[in-house]
Amino acid sequence: MKDEGTKSHFVGLRMTEKESQMLSEAQEKSQLTKTQLLLKGLELLGEYYTLGLDQRPLSFELKELEQESRRHAESLRRVRSRANAIREFIRDLRAVDDIVDRYGCKENNLIQILLGIQQENHWLPRHALMWISERLQIPLARIYQIANFYEAFSIEPRGAHLIQVCMGTACYIQGGPQLLSRIEEALHLQPDETDPEQNFTLKTVHCLGCCALGPVVKVDDDYYSAPNAKEIKDIVAACLEREK
Amino acid sequence: MTMGRLGSSKSLGKLRDEIISRRDPDRTYVAVCGSGCLAYHSNDVFRAFAREIKKRGIEGKVGLRLTGCLGFCQRGPVVIILPDQICYFGLKDKDVPEVVSETLINKRLVERLLYQDEDSNKRIAKINDIPFYKYQNRLIIGNNTLIDPRNIDDYIAVGGYSALPKALADMTPEGVLEEVKKANLRGRGGGGFPAGRKWQTTRDAPGETKYVIVNGDEGDPGAFMDRSLLEGNPHSVLEGLILGAYAIGAHEGYVYVRQEYPQAIENTELALEQMREYGLLGPNILGSGFAFDVTVHRGAGAFVSGESSALMTAIEGFVGEPRPKYIHTSVKGIWDRPSCLNNVETWANVPLIVNNGADWYQKLGTEGSKGTKIFSLVGKVNNTGLVEVPMGITLRKIIFDIGGGIPEGRKFKAVQTGGPSGGCLPESMLDLPVDFDELSKVGSMMGSGGIIVADDGTCMVDFARYYIEFLASESCGKCIPCREGLRNMLRILNNITAGKGEEGDIETLEELSEVMEAASLCALGQTAANPVLTTIKYFRDEYEAHIRERRCPALACPELISFHIAPDKCKGCGICVKDCPTEAISGKKKAVHVIAQDKCIKCGSCLQVCPKKFNAVVKRSRQDLPATKSS
Repeated sequence: MKDEGTKSHFVGLRMTEKESQMLSEAQEKSQLTKTQLLLKGLELLGEYYTLGLDQRPLSFELKELEQESRRHAESLRRVRSRANAIREFIRDLRAVDDIVDRYGCKENNLIQILLGIQQENHWLPRHALMWISERLQIPLARIYQIANFYEAFSIEPRGAHLIQVCMGTACYIQGGPQLLSRIEEALHLQPDETDPEQNFTLKTVHCLGCCALGPVVKVDDDYYSAPNAKEIKDIVAACLEREK
Repeated sequence: MTMGRLGSSKSLGKLRDEIISRRDPDRTYVAVCGSGCLAYHSNDVFRAFAREIKKRGIEGKVGLRLTGCLGFCQRGPVVIILPDQICYFGLKDKDVPEVVSETLINKRLVERLLYQDEDSNKRIAKINDIPFYKYQNRLIIGNNTLIDPRNIDDYIAVGGYSALPKALADMTPEGVLEEVKKANLRGRGGGGFPAGRKWQTTRDAPGETKYVIVNGDEGDPGAFMDRSLLEGNPHSVLEGLILGAYAIGAHEGYVYVRQEYPQAIENTELALEQMREYGLLGPNILGSGFAFDVTVHRGAGAFVSGESSALMTAIEGFVGEPRPKYIHTSVKGIWDRPSCLNNVETWANVPLIVNNGADWYQKLGTEGSKGTKIFSLVGKVNNTGLVEVPMGITLRKIIFDIGGGIPEGRKFKAVQTGGPSGGCLPESMLDLPVDFDELSKVGSMMGSGGIIVADDGTCMVDFARYYIEFLASESCGKCIPCREGLRNMLRILNNITAGKGEEGDIETLEELSEVMEAASLCALGQTAANPVLTTIKYFRDEYEAHIRERRCPALACPELISFHIAPDKCKGCGICVKDCPTEAISGKKKAVHVIAQDKCIKCGSCLQVCPKKFNAVVKRSRQDLPATKSS
């Protein structure tokens, strides 16, 4: 793999010269890329924690990743031991690696890679973007610029069920806004919001391409044509039932 | 498929003969729409057919295909039985056993699933007798019935990939280019720029590496022509693309499809794979020495990325924003190399031209616009769906003959064409021929093919506001006239529809439009004011009613109306009471119900659920609220 250089920046942090030298030596010795080495480091760290040992001296980058793993676990409001947080974190990063390798570790595949992650994970967590930044050697800021620009990406966690109310022209003139207000009322959500339990995310979209059915709402993969308030209640209840 | 790479044009011909000879021309085929109809669960219908055909042991006699869009979306799921061309509409999986035993085995029609004529109540069985299809000329989408998009052999069997060997073996690149020029093929994405001229520019531009690109970023809300083509017949688009690449001298191509169309992406990728297997892509296509390959790029959802320079930056992996085009993208496009971008439908026209010749193509359409055009006919019209008609047909013919007029006996009010860059035209303009030039003369445009029909229940101010809201959220913000112009237009229109409009608002809107048109960077901003300008031009009285009388003549703007239950019509059935999401409706069984105005969110659910025989829920202008309105 020659896609990753030995550049010394990672997520905007600089390594000391000594660290940088140690890293390239280790790379040479192990024939691993930098990201593979970092994953190894994280794995070791996870084992230390599992054994109940305390934190070892870490390189800047590992420290940053370790903190990110805790931030991430906290942001999901799940209580995790340090060891578990790191284990889940490593699993996430490996999944990102798979997607990067699937599309090819090239700069112009960035959008395709992000779409892949969005598809599998339903949103783009910060550590996934950091990892892509490192692998593709693209500044994190530019990745965030793209994640913010395109409609398909979400940098906030999304609910288990995605509810998309079509606001395409055909649906709009057939009563899309009224349908939306019924759904807002049923979910107690505004468009682009997710409930605290992360069950539902409400979104409006411009055209689902089934204009004859309008006004349409798409719940996960199912389409519903002009449901009335009671039918919406039933749909929501059915989603919650599936969660149990 | 065991054929492997085809070494010459001749071996492709042999393969075609072999595929056709393997197939019995009289064999019955069931085509189930697997495109838009999926929303009606047509895949359940497909599975039911597979099950039932197997159960009855007629697999040898009856073939089954999940096809692309069959057009008549309103009556989905659509099933067409070949070779008799019998159409069944609105099929449920429970109807399938009857169709199999009656039609497939006993050759009898299932009357209740046939199309019923509105006027005569007569049932019509054959596709070409149904008014919706009768007036069309389905040159490009017509083959959808015969093709499983996931099987390249189906496309070859209907004569697909016959233009390609013809071009590679018998024509020079210049020859192909001249043919396209002579046919006067114009860009179907909306601009109508002559494709041949664009190709020539890219061909002549300096540089070894050149690109050809399919623009499938179809962002206009209410339009699904490109989706249907890529889902239903991806090979026709890709064959056109190779022909273009050959004429231009490009060896790499991109297909840009929005990620909201997962099936279009899947079918395109599968098509590319099968083409590579047959040697229709790769280093030496059909032994001609011409090399070409294609990559699919999924668009992440940004309306502005459909603009050529923006789309190209997106392919490079950046934010899809347009750039000034002093130098055209056909000269400096992806990575500053000459790049020729055409719409999905434009590419799909190319094989037709190469196969039949420019002279044949010239016979279709009008003076300045040749060929057919695919439209998505939607909104307040009886027959919504995908229609393909020769250019020059009138709007009236599309809306009333093909579309079957306005539902529920309401009155036609306006037709919107050209998406957010187009305009709204009133009844008096319905006899205009639809082509690139005529609609532009009256302030609208043909655009990429969305035709949205509005009836008298649609507020034209709100309709304009809808488009401006869409454009304001999709404007990339790079240039100020577009970004700020749209923001201010939206503010004014929001005020007007909320009953807070002021004298002078209309003039301000017109002034803003002028600046945006003159000073915006790309077509998004330059044409953004069209929906506002045309609605002001043709429906000025509605603007004035909102501003001067605080009244919405169409009873559509929520701020200006209220919902009521007519006491003389209400039978006290309690349906609306139970349905109301905010519990705004009170009333006991058998007693007249009342809507508490302070709780009402105007979602219209009560109007929808009130039984048609009572029709007790009515919309009224706010001014004529009864004096006893709740506090």
